Amino acid sequence: MSIFTNKSEKLFIFFFFAIGLVIPLFLADNVFYINKISSMIIIAIFVMSLDYLVGRSGLITLGHAMFYGIGGYIFTIIAPEYETVNFWIYTFYVMSISAFVALIVGFIVLRTSGIYMIMITLALSQMCFYYFADSVDYGGFDGLFIYIKPETSIFGFNFLDLNNESHFYYLCLLSLFNCFVFFKVLMKSSFGRVIDALKENPERATALGYNIFHFRLIAYVIASSLAAYAGYLFALQYGFVNPSMMSWEVSATALVMALLGGLGSIYGAILGAFAYEGLHYVLEHVTQYWMFFMGCLIILMVLTLKNGLSGLLSNLVGDKENE
Amino acid sequence: MNNKNKSCLTTIPVFIATFLIAFSTSVLAENKPEPIKVGVMLPFSGVYAGLGDSIRNGLKLALQEKGYKASGRLIQLVEVDTEAKPARASELTLGLVDNDKSDFVIGPVHSGVAMGMINTIRNKDSIMIIPNAGANAATGAFCQPNVFRTSFSSWQTAYPMGKEAANMGYKKIVTLSWNYGFGKESLAAFEESFVAAGGEVVKKILVPFPKTEFQPYLTQIASIKPDAVFVFFAGGGAVKFVKDYDTMGLKGKIPLLGSGFLTEGTTAAQGKAAEGLLTTLHYADTIDSSKNKKFRADYKAKFNKSADLFAVQGYDAGQLIIQAVEAVKGNIEDKAALIYQMELLEIDSPRGKFRFSKAHNPIQSIYLRKVVNGLNTVVKESVTNLEDPARGCKL
Amino acid sequence: MDTYFFLVQLLNGVQYGLLLFLIASGLTLIFGVMGILNLAHGSMYMIGAYLAYYFTALTDSFAIAVIISSLIALVIGLLIERFLISHLYKRDHLDQVLLTVGLIFIFNAVQSFVWGNDPLGVEVPSALSGSIQLTELLEYSDYRLFISLICICVAVAMYYIINRTKLGMLIRAGESDRAMVENLGVDISKLFTIVFAIGVVLAALAGIISAPIVSLVPGMGEHVLISCFVVVVIGGLGSIKGAFVAALLVGIVDTFASVLIPEISSMSIYLLMSLILLIKPQGLFKS
Repeated sequence: MSIFTNKSEKLFIFFFFAIGLVIPLFLADNVFYINKISSMIIIAIFVMSLDYLVGRSGLITLGHAMFYGIGGYIFTIIAPEYETVNFWIYTFYVMSISAFVALIVGFIVLRTSGIYMIMITLALSQMCFYYFADSVDYGGFDGLFIYIKPETSIFGFNFLDLNNESHFYYLCLLSLFNCFVFFKVLMKSSFGRVIDALKENPERATALGYNIFHFRLIAYVIASSLAAYAGYLFALQYGFVNPSMMSWEVSATALVMALLGGLGSIYGAILGAFAYEGLHYVLEHVTQYWMFFMGCLIILMVLTLKNGLSGLLSNLVGDKENE
Repeated sequence: MNNKNKSCLTTIPVFIATFLIAFSTSVLAENKPEPIKVGVMLPFSGVYAGLGDSIRNGLKLALQEKGYKASGRLIQLVEVDTEAKPARASELTLGLVDNDKSDFVIGPVHSGVAMGMINTIRNKDSIMIIPNAGANAATGAFCQPNVFRTSFSSWQTAYPMGKEAANMGYKKIVTLSWNYGFGKESLAAFEESFVAAGGEVVKKILVPFPKTEFQPYLTQIASIKPDAVFVFFAGGGAVKFVKDYDTMGLKGKIPLLGSGFLTEGTTAAQGKAAEGLLTTLHYADTIDSSKNKKFRADYKAKFNKSADLFAVQGYDAGQLIIQAVEAVKGNIEDKAALIYQMELLEIDSPRGKFRFSKAHNPIQSIYLRKVVNGLNTVVKESVTNLEDPARGCKL
Repeated sequence: MDTYFFLVQLLNGVQYGLLLFLIASGLTLIFGVMGILNLAHGSMYMIGAYLAYYFTALTDSFAIAVIISSLIALVIGLLIERFLISHLYKRDHLDQVLLTVGLIFIFNAVQSFVWGNDPLGVEVPSALSGSIQLTELLEYSDYRLFISLICICVAVAMYYIINRTKLGMLIRAGESDRAMVENLGVDISKLFTIVFAIGVVLAALAGIISAPIVSLVPGMGEHVLISCFVVVVIGGLGSIKGAFVAALLVGIVDTFASVLIPEISSMSIYLLMSLILLIKPQGLFKS
């Protein structure tokens, strides 16, 4: 059974990761671009987790950045300051603590739905933002630093050095790939099919005996802990965390990226994140008033593309039915 | 042809065009090795954009006086917008250092961005010049050999006011600022000298940043009835606070003292409400020197608005670069020698001449100023050549 | 806490709440009728304030500035609805939200381009520059009271229009059953145009009349947007009455939290919203 939904997805994933694998060879002398692409990949992971939540589960949130920030802060807080720790062990810690937080938060926010859920997630993430911004111990508005990056050995075999930009890039790329495959497999599983059914027709799913709340809670926890993983990678990349990671603008921007990419398509998250970040990068180097052109392009895309960039790609390739 | 395909036709060229622009700019940037590259990392959008503009104007004025040349080498600026977002600080810094190969990076305005920048640049060859951000740590616990500052430390701008307040005979004072690093550091510095001079801070109020609903706090102050109030606010918040203080009727009844940012670049928007306010800062509009007069006249002529402190700090960042390059006769590739020369320089600033401390922060005089007709006029020099204690710096 | 202190703080809270109502009313109106979460609402507030600044400087009269600026806002609202939003009615609501995000970018750029980035201020009109002595130390400016009066007038006017006029009847019907309104032969797109334009004008009006008491800075729209969300959600989306009650509640809670529990005052309104949503998941006054 193939994990791909249609031809355009297959083509895109193939080309994206094929180019992704070799691109550092061409950029070897330019650390900046490797770093830039790494950070775009991290954002793509974050957006992908949001896309699953919004596009597949129908749970719209404006507080997803809370977990992005929490992921970074958890590592910075629990890792000893002047000691090298293991990346994989701390990945486990970061994701399980965030999952636990998501479980509690999800328990509260999933009692509401629609616009009210958007607002209550917003409220909680704003509270979290102010908790860290007002804190004395966690650096307040100036944030915290990570002085020593973790090592990545498994059973004593060390193959990635996180201080090396290319190595870090490959870690990000691998993470994105795993994340994509994970979501596609999840979608094909019986759990994923129930989630899809819940979005289409909650009443019928309930009538069939599924507990909507439990399924949604699990989806929420999964998406949130992956967002935390993305935040953890972000913190490691430049070695610092800041409350602005959880500002509502970050959540809103991620939602914009997911929409640009085409909601619910999962791979569209990569398209959306790269298109948005790419445009931002280009425009801000061309003019001080980059916001004007950014705004115009966003509006143009909304008006002309029905299913975002992945829909556009699908038309170009000539998929018969987008699913 | 159906609708779907039409939409493809309009969208694709837009993408191709934008990426072509990106490509051509990055290719063009790589061809000339000789000029000295100066990265400029300031906020040009968002709340701090006004400060970014002033600093850039000042910088351009300084470079233009020398025809954008030092020791025969051309000086080229590369500008990026930080949007005052700390989360982007590292990425943008790396862009200027690794991609644009900047020899100097000037920035930023915002302390949170500054910490992110320093964290990134400390292992690099480029020299960072801070034209505003006053976080004590930047030339304190976090000081670096390749980081200089042409502005101030928060401590410097607020410490002298404590003594002045005590001299004015105030015993009980309420302090107030936004609840963020710069504000808290300013209040702490004020309290340090005020308490040492025998005063008492009866209440310290921290307002969530960036909230500008000040009425509840002003009502609270009125019920405490202190001898005076000391505040730190800047930019839009300073405008709102000073206006509110006036409309709530407190002005003239409880004296308002401030760190100089309260009335810096904001007096036009504050109008009458700012008249007569006393603040301390390392610059005043009416400093009586030919250097300052010429600077202000040139600035006014070129940009059609009055110079403020931020313009001065940008101007001095420009002067610092030119003098540094000339001191090593254009041979800036030897960074250790360049840094050594920079440490010895004396900058002839509109604020008065200054040198750098061991921690690379200006040793500068602080003025007591009073707002008269929208101008920050000198009352007196409060402290001559004040040096930041640079707590925790090992340089 | 003595009585005087309490009363003055209550006045502060009510006054802030009334202003919040004026800003939020347009947002809740647009959402209630059209189902669109207009994220560019804060930008219209900002544009209103800057227009007031511009025309006050140009004409030397704040009153004229208020009129011209409101008219411009009306035109902007009509244009946005006709040329942009009306194309998206058959699409997902999230697409409409995305469009309004694009508008935020554009308005921010226009503001920076036209008016620059330095903080600006508008003088209080001379007829209202006096003040009332409240306590030995505190005064209350006439202009602030005037703003409160305007807010109350707007609230009353909206209440009247919605409950007593044909337009109001359609708005109420549009909130509860859109299909039915269309079946009655009403041109729903015209209704949407009118409602959207009114919403935009309300946001701009809030910006215009608060211009003399705030500082005009880039990004000022985004700050008020979040507070507006809170008000609208607590009140129950689409409910004008709810927005009014919620705005007062938020204003008062925020004011007292600032001085009584400063440690958590930054979170106070979010705590309030979370608590209310947990007890009443649809807000206070969901029809």
